[in-house]
Amino acid sequence: MSKSLSNNIRKLRFEADEMSQQTLADKVGVTRQTIFAIEKDKYSPSLEVAFKISNVFKTPLEDVFTYE
Amino acid sequence: MSMSYKEKSLIASMGVTLLLFGWYFYGAFSNLSLNQEPQLSTIIVLIVLVIISEGIIQSFVALKNKSLLEDERDKLIERISYRYSYGFLSVCIWFLMVQILLDTWFDNHLILTTPFGIFHFLLLFFVLSEVIRFGTQLYYYRKGI
Repeated sequence: MSKSLSNNIRKLRFEADEMSQQTLADKVGVTRQTIFAIEKDKYSPSLEVAFKISNVFKTPLEDVFTYE
Repeated sequence: MSMSYKEKSLIASMGVTLLLFGWYFYGAFSNLSLNQEPQLSTIIVLIVLVIISEGIIQSFVALKNKSLLEDERDKLIERISYRYSYGFLSVCIWFLMVQILLDTWFDNHLILTTPFGIFHFLLLFFVLSEVIRFGTQLYYYRKGI
């Protein structure tokens, strides 16, 4: 069975006071559509963007993204 | 999912390309005038029309969108689309080269290898490769990568 990348961004946004996709996108420096695509597992971000997302939520990278 | 600035811009470019070059190719191929000299004035008018239409439509799309940001996903999708476009164009150029070789063996009887026939087909292949570039970008924006 092939492994795939999944994420908890939707949950983390909810816990961060219902942060909008646009706010997260602005903080990370990508478009809202890219955040949407990452959330829906339609795009695997670069390491740089992945670290930026985890920095926004002040969470370790492995709590944001899982590979299984 | 709402469309991004890039998607709207791509649809606009594809629409302009298909409409204006479609009009040109309809005239060029419908009456089988491949042996006739392409009207230089028609081609100049066509290019000017494409530039003006693109300018107006892209400015309108840009005005309607707050964010014109291009991120890593946009660049990745663009790279993939260029690969498909380049592949298609390479196949077409090889096809034309083989046609020219065949033509020398068949005593110049192939309509495709008249100078103006080659001109029209080269222009068609360039336009089709652009359409493939726009189309694959739109596909990957919708499907995901």
